[in-house]
Amino acid sequence: MAKIHDNPNRTAWVKKIAGLTTLSAGHALLKEFRTKHLNVFKTDWSLELDGQWIECKIEEKVALLKRAEFNDDKFMNNCTCGANAQEVADKAIAEITACTDMYKAERIHIDFRLACKPPVMPVNVFLDTDRQLGTKLMELRNTDYYALPLEELRKVRGVNVITLQ
Amino acid sequence: MAISSATKAATDALEVNRAPVSVGAQEVHKWLQSFTWDFDKNRTKYSTKYHMANDTKEQFKLIAKEYARMESVKDERQFGSLQDVLTRVDAANRVHPKWNESMKVISNFLEVGEYNAIAATGMLWDSATAPEQKNGYLGQVLDEIRHTNQCGYINYYFAKQGQDAAGHNDARRTRAIGPLWKGMKRVFSDGFISGDAVECSINLQLVGEACFTNPLIVAVTEWASANGDEMTPTVFLSIETDELRHMANGYQTVVSIANDEAASKYLNTDLNNAFWTQQKYFTPVLGMMFEYGSHFKVEPWVKTWNRWVYEDWGGIWIGRLGKYGVESPASLRDAKKDAYWAHHDLFMIAYALWPTGFFRLTLPTAEEAEWYEANYPGWYDMYGKVYEEWRARGCEDPNSGFLPLQWFIENNHPIYIDRVSQVPFCPSYSKGASTLRVLELNGKKHSFSDQWGERMWLSEPERYECQNIFEQYEGRELSEVIAEGHGVRSDGFTLIAQPHTSKDGRLWTLDDIKKIGCVFADPLKSL
Repeated sequence: MAKIHDNPNRTAWVKKIAGLTTLSAGHALLKEFRTKHLNVFKTDWSLELDGQWIECKIEEKVALLKRAEFNDDKFMNNCTCGANAQEVADKAIAEITACTDMYKAERIHIDFRLACKPPVMPVNVFLDTDRQLGTKLMELRNTDYYALPLEELRKVRGVNVITLQ
Repeated sequence: MAISSATKAATDALEVNRAPVSVGAQEVHKWLQSFTWDFDKNRTKYSTKYHMANDTKEQFKLIAKEYARMESVKDERQFGSLQDVLTRVDAANRVHPKWNESMKVISNFLEVGEYNAIAATGMLWDSATAPEQKNGYLGQVLDEIRHTNQCGYINYYFAKQGQDAAGHNDARRTRAIGPLWKGMKRVFSDGFISGDAVECSINLQLVGEACFTNPLIVAVTEWASANGDEMTPTVFLSIETDELRHMANGYQTVVSIANDEAASKYLNTDLNNAFWTQQKYFTPVLGMMFEYGSHFKVEPWVKTWNRWVYEDWGGIWIGRLGKYGVESPASLRDAKKDAYWAHHDLFMIAYALWPTGFFRLTLPTAEEAEWYEANYPGWYDMYGKVYEEWRARGCEDPNSGFLPLQWFIENNHPIYIDRVSQVPFCPSYSKGASTLRVLELNGKKHSFSDQWGERMWLSEPERYECQNIFEQYEGRELSEVIAEGHGVRSDGFTLIAQPHTSKDGRLWTLDDIKKIGCVFADPLKSL
C-alpha cells in the first residue's frame, strides 16, 4: 500500500504542478483547487487527506511564477490575477461592514480567504484585511449566541441529523 | 591631579543630588503609572470585541528588573537541587515506573500549553491600554518562556537520569498518530491563541490558570511525591509561584472590560465556551493521568475536581467576579457529571489504543482495583471485569496476538472522536455523560459527544476541520501507521508505547502488531 505521505494522489499533482509555466495558469489552478477542495462548504471530499499538502505545492509554484513575472511595484500592490489588491480588499471590507447577518458575513470571510490567500494577494494587504473581516465576523457570531435552540441551529446550518442519542 | 571639566561637573552634581541606592515600592508604582508607550496604534492581530479600560491596575507591581532578580533566584534553587542533590541520590530511578510514564504526557503536553501562553499574553499586551496592566502581561510573557523551558527540562532530566527515556526525549514525533495530541492542541493552542485576545485570556487565565492550574500543577506535585518523584515538585511548585500572577492578570482582564458595553453581550458566552473547551479535555485526561498513571494514590480525582473546579473556581472565584457581571458557566453542571466517570472511560479507550501513544500504560493491579471500587462504587462491574478479561487474554504479552481494541470491535462498541474537543468516546460502553450525536454536512459526517461542542461547531464550522485518526488512516494496517508516524524507538522496530511497565516483560515490536492484522476503520462510515 502507498505510504501516508508519499502516495499516487500527491505524485500526480506534483507532475501537474510542474507543468505550470505562466502565472495566469497557476492562478487559475490555485483558485479552482481551493474552491473545489479546501472550501469549508465543499461537497467533493476526494482530496480531504492530501488537499492541504497539494495546495501548499501549488502555492509554492505560483509564488515563483509571480516573482518571475511581476516587477517590484506589482509584487507589492497587485493580486496574481492582476487586480489591484487594495481595491479587492476594500470591496470585501465594504461588504462585511454593511452585513448584519453572520451567515452572510462568514461567506464573505471564507470566500475572501479562498480567493485571496497569499501568494494570490500580497501579504501586507491580505493580513490586515483578514484581520478586519475576522473581527467583524467574531462580533456577529457572538451576538445572541444562544438565541436559537440546537434544533433550529441545525436547520439554519443545513445539516442532516444521522443520530441523536 | 587635574580632572576633566566633565568629570568635575558630574562629581559636583552628585554632591548635590546623590544617586539613589534603593527604590521604594511606592516610587516604583508611581514610575510605572508614568510609562508613556505609544498606544494609539497598539493592536493585536484580531481586534478584541471588548474595550479594555486604560486605568486598569496590576496587582503585583513588579518592574522587569525586580522580576528578573526574583526569577533567577528561583531558577538557581530549582536547577541546583536537580543537578546536585537529586542527581547524587539517583532520584530519577526511584520514581515508580507508572508515574515515570505519566510525566511523559504531563510535562510534554504542559510545555505546549506554556509555549502558546507566551503568544497569548503577548496578544494581551498588544490589546491592553493601561500601563500597569501591560506590565502585568509583560511579567507573564516572561513567566511563560521560563515555564516552557522548565517543562522541557523535566523531560530532558528524566530522559538523561532516569528509566526508559523513550517518550521523554522525543514525544512530538508521534503527534500524528496519538489521539491525545489533537485534543491537547485544541485546549492549549487553539483555545489560547486563536481569535479575540480577551476570549483567549478567558481560556488561558480565567479558566486554564485560575481553574485548572490548581488541579494540574499543584495536585501533580502531590501525586508525584507519593510515587517517589522528587523532581516534579521541585519544578512544578516553582512554576506555580508564578501562576498567582497569571490568575491576577485574568481577574484584571475582566475588571478592565467590566464597564464596556461589549461585556454584557459577549462575556458570559465566551466564558461558557472557554470553560467547556478546557474542561472537556482536562477533566478526563488529568484524572486518568493521576489515578491510572500512579501506583500510590492521593485522593480520588472526583474530590480534587469538586474542591478546586466546582467549589473554589465555579463558586468562589467566579463569585468574586459576579459584581462585574460574570456568571458561573451554564456548562458547569454538565462538567460535574463528567468528573466522576469520564476519566475511567477515557483510560479504557486509551489502553485499547495503546500502540498509538508515546508512553506505557498499565492495567490496575488487584490492590489498585480495590481502591477504585472503594472510591467509585460500581467501578469493578463496568471496568474491572473487562480488565481481568483483557489480562487473561494476554494483553501485555506480545505473543498473545491480542490488542484490547479487538474487544471493542468484537463486542460492537465503536469508538468515536468528538469533532470539537477531539476527545475519543465510546457511547455504548461508558458511564460518563457523553452521548453520540452525528450530523452530516455536504456529505461529510461529524460526531459530537455533547450539546456544547455541537453548538460550537454549528456556529463556527471552519474552526473544527481537524481530521481524526480513524479518518486519516482508514483502511491502513496499524503497524504501518505506527512505523510511518515515528512511533518506534531508536532500534527502528520496538514500539515507544507499551501495555505494561514491567522491567522483565517483553516489549512489543512492529512485527507483533503486524501479525494481529488490525486495520483502521472509520465508525462514521457505517452509520
